[in-house]
Amino acid sequence: MISKSLALKVLNEALATGGDYAEIYLEQNDSQAVTLENGKVETSGTRRSYGAGIRILNDLKSVYGYTSVLSAKSLLTLAHDLAASFTGTRKIEVKSIEKQRVKVTNPIEDHLTDVPTAEKVALLKECYAITASVDKRLVRIQDVFANNFKSIEIYSAEGEIGKQFENTEERGRLVMVAAAADSGKIETNFQGPGRYAGWHYFKDVLDWKKLAKECGEKAILFLTAKECPSGRFPVVITNGWGGVIFHEACGHSLEATATAKHLSVFSDSIGQQIANPIVSAFDDGTIPNEWGSNNIDSEGHVTQKNQLIRDGICVGFLVDKFNGRRLKMEANGVSRRQNYKYEPTSRMSNTYIAPGKDKAEDILKDTKLGIYVTNFGGGSVNPTTGEFNFSASEAYIIRDGKVCEPVRGCTLIGSGKEVLMNIDRVADDVALGQGMCGSASGSIPVNVGQPTIRIKEITVGGRGGKLE
Amino acid sequence: MKFDQFFALAKERGITESQIQVTRSKSLAMSLFHHEIDNYNISEGQNVIACGVVNGKFGSCRTEELDGNTFEFLVNGIIESAGVSEKAETAELFAGSEKYHKKNVYNPELALIPVEKKIALIHQIEDDLFAYDKRVNEVESVSYEEHEGLSEFYNSRGLKLKQKSNYYVLVGAVDGKSGEEVKTSWDLSLGNDLNSFDEKSFVKGIGDKLVAKFGGVQCPSGKYPTILENDVFADLVNYFISSTSSDEVQRQSSFLIGKLNTKIASSKVNIAEKPLTKNVFFSYFDDEGVATMNKDIVKGGVLKTYLYNRETAKKDGVTSTGNGQWEGDKIGIGYGNIFVKGSKKPFADMIAPIKEGVFITEIAGLGTGMNAQSGDFSCQAQGFMIRDGELAEPLNLITLSGNLLQMLQDVKGFDNAMKLNTDSITCADAYIKKMAIGGK
Repeated sequence: MISKSLALKVLNEALATGGDYAEIYLEQNDSQAVTLENGKVETSGTRRSYGAGIRILNDLKSVYGYTSVLSAKSLLTLAHDLAASFTGTRKIEVKSIEKQRVKVTNPIEDHLTDVPTAEKVALLKECYAITASVDKRLVRIQDVFANNFKSIEIYSAEGEIGKQFENTEERGRLVMVAAAADSGKIETNFQGPGRYAGWHYFKDVLDWKKLAKECGEKAILFLTAKECPSGRFPVVITNGWGGVIFHEACGHSLEATATAKHLSVFSDSIGQQIANPIVSAFDDGTIPNEWGSNNIDSEGHVTQKNQLIRDGICVGFLVDKFNGRRLKMEANGVSRRQNYKYEPTSRMSNTYIAPGKDKAEDILKDTKLGIYVTNFGGGSVNPTTGEFNFSASEAYIIRDGKVCEPVRGCTLIGSGKEVLMNIDRVADDVALGQGMCGSASGSIPVNVGQPTIRIKEITVGGRGGKLE
Repeated sequence: MKFDQFFALAKERGITESQIQVTRSKSLAMSLFHHEIDNYNISEGQNVIACGVVNGKFGSCRTEELDGNTFEFLVNGIIESAGVSEKAETAELFAGSEKYHKKNVYNPELALIPVEKKIALIHQIEDDLFAYDKRVNEVESVSYEEHEGLSEFYNSRGLKLKQKSNYYVLVGAVDGKSGEEVKTSWDLSLGNDLNSFDEKSFVKGIGDKLVAKFGGVQCPSGKYPTILENDVFADLVNYFISSTSSDEVQRQSSFLIGKLNTKIASSKVNIAEKPLTKNVFFSYFDDEGVATMNKDIVKGGVLKTYLYNRETAKKDGVTSTGNGQWEGDKIGIGYGNIFVKGSKKPFADMIAPIKEGVFITEIAGLGTGMNAQSGDFSCQAQGFMIRDGELAEPLNLITLSGNLLQMLQDVKGFDNAMKLNTDSITCADAYIKKMAIGGK
């Protein structure tokens, strides 16, 4: 997007006042979304996000700025203005920039951007037809296909020889939302599979027919669901999207953004037991073509498989370059951002609890009275206190080891420390689920994941009175 | 930019009517950690949204890249977008309202205050937060942000509108320790007159909130008379206002279908949208170029209007209420400056009759815990017990569950603690007859 010679000038301008690291992040992101409302194309739009972010680090200080004008004048002015916030003298003169090889670990053969809109519309119409055929009480069905293609260039320097990285990211997401209405009640169901993949995956591999049917069926099922009871009781959480509990209860609190400044409940936990010994967990940005995967991170580091918990012991944090300085730890390929308007920081990618030895059916069978959660809206956490919440969009009562009636309006709350110790069963059926995670560096695609687990006791909130 | 060239190119390619909106923004942000600026950000951005009508169909496209090819990119995007539209309605752009209530809300003095003074202010806040109480363990961050924006609107029918605005956001966040217990507290101040910012009361608010949280317990699960603090009530009101969107109602996705001019809330509930209020949320035209207007949404508990853009208004045989706002690739429904009428009663008088109840001061997870279509919600909460008309022990890790319509029907009253929140909702603390609390 800019020449190497301009990048060299900008890096040197940025480092003129004593900065010890400078970085230019350039991005062009072309995205498209097609939306059908009740089977008819409602909107289809394209948008281009385009700009550059410049970051200068000086020991434990960071300055960042961005612009959507990529002219030499604009970039040099931004670098100059940012450098002006330091008052030192030059420590580094960048003499040359070397292009780095970026290994493609997420290959794509048939780009989503090359697929005619009409073909995407045809698929969405089939999804609609399947959902609509479920029941006449489905009053609103939305089907969306969204995809983006992001081209990135990074120039960075912390010595005489700077580095240049080039990368592309490409993701697609199929979203189905069904709303069912009856006797004044409205219930919705959401399905949103996403992947760092081409059209072949969405058209031929993903079982969208099954999802479209489920979307309608579940919206109808929950029309008659009772309100969820409240109190403290055992909760069995299904595999896949269930991993949002680990994402909120633990994942955010292990990000260097929180641990570096001792603002996390787990800041001093390396080597300590923070979870039941049956729990091991990873963040893995290298799984080919997964929703949260990437070839490199926003700083140019190759993505990694990072173990966070081994047999209940905390063994690692998610570390970006800047926060790594406070922690005296090396960056481990987890620096991410929504776009050039955000300074990158440590974020999750594909985070999951590793498979255990139990069987999901045995865990259910061994639970006399509790809640079985099979889908979630999402959640949030306060990393300092470790207190988290997440809302279940699909939950059922477990009685005598059997899954019984559905319940709605179910929220689970707790503290990360408590809930990780309270995981008393881990099955072998690990799966991943796709979501968007919002935090300091914006909204980014992440996978959450886990096998079926049981939490022996957790606070459940709902309007349905006592669990009986 | 020469927008006439855009309109000419659009017309040449078969776009019968077209519209272009350009937003230019710049910002400054800085934050302190351990008495030093650890983050300093500056930015300048631009965003162009264009839309048009091709064979009666609406299409749109947007970009942040402004160069010699921008108009070509936008025109092609509009044609492609309109080409696949299957909407039955014929689209047309707006010629203009009879009158616009333009006000100058831009405060030039804000940018003229030297950066050094702004840095000194956040240092002062940090020092005072550290000194506030011995249980303050860490000042997690004190930050200052300043934003300035210019929005320009043009369409091929000759409509030209402009608005310039600016604002600052100051945030303070602390954590405190008492034994093994860790608590956090934060607040923010939003406005564009930094000279009227009261630093001492800002710090006191954060500090008092922190120290009051220690010793938090879970109450037994049950239904309690509930006071929702203004910020909490504002979060819930925000979802209620979303449900007054005529678009949601027409698509049968709102619990307010068929409720127009009926009593949906307690007669104590009065909610109005006042976009022409002179504050940082002021706006005198919407994204279709329609003049905004102040209006009652709920009066004496009766739903007086839905919020309309031009398309939804046409469907219901009414006129737009000036609530057209970009929502993805279409102009949907938006709003700003919502006011819920309070009372003259102080907080202490409002809670005096409550024998046993709860005062909810913070909620978390409403974004995912809210079913916006049905109005059912369940989320994490904290606050205090109310015993014999007074605040008692703090409550922690409890849940608050309810239904928006039921909550509004159960409003017993408000106090006089009016506050403007970041979603542009101004309201007081609300007394709700009973709400479901989950605890032990």
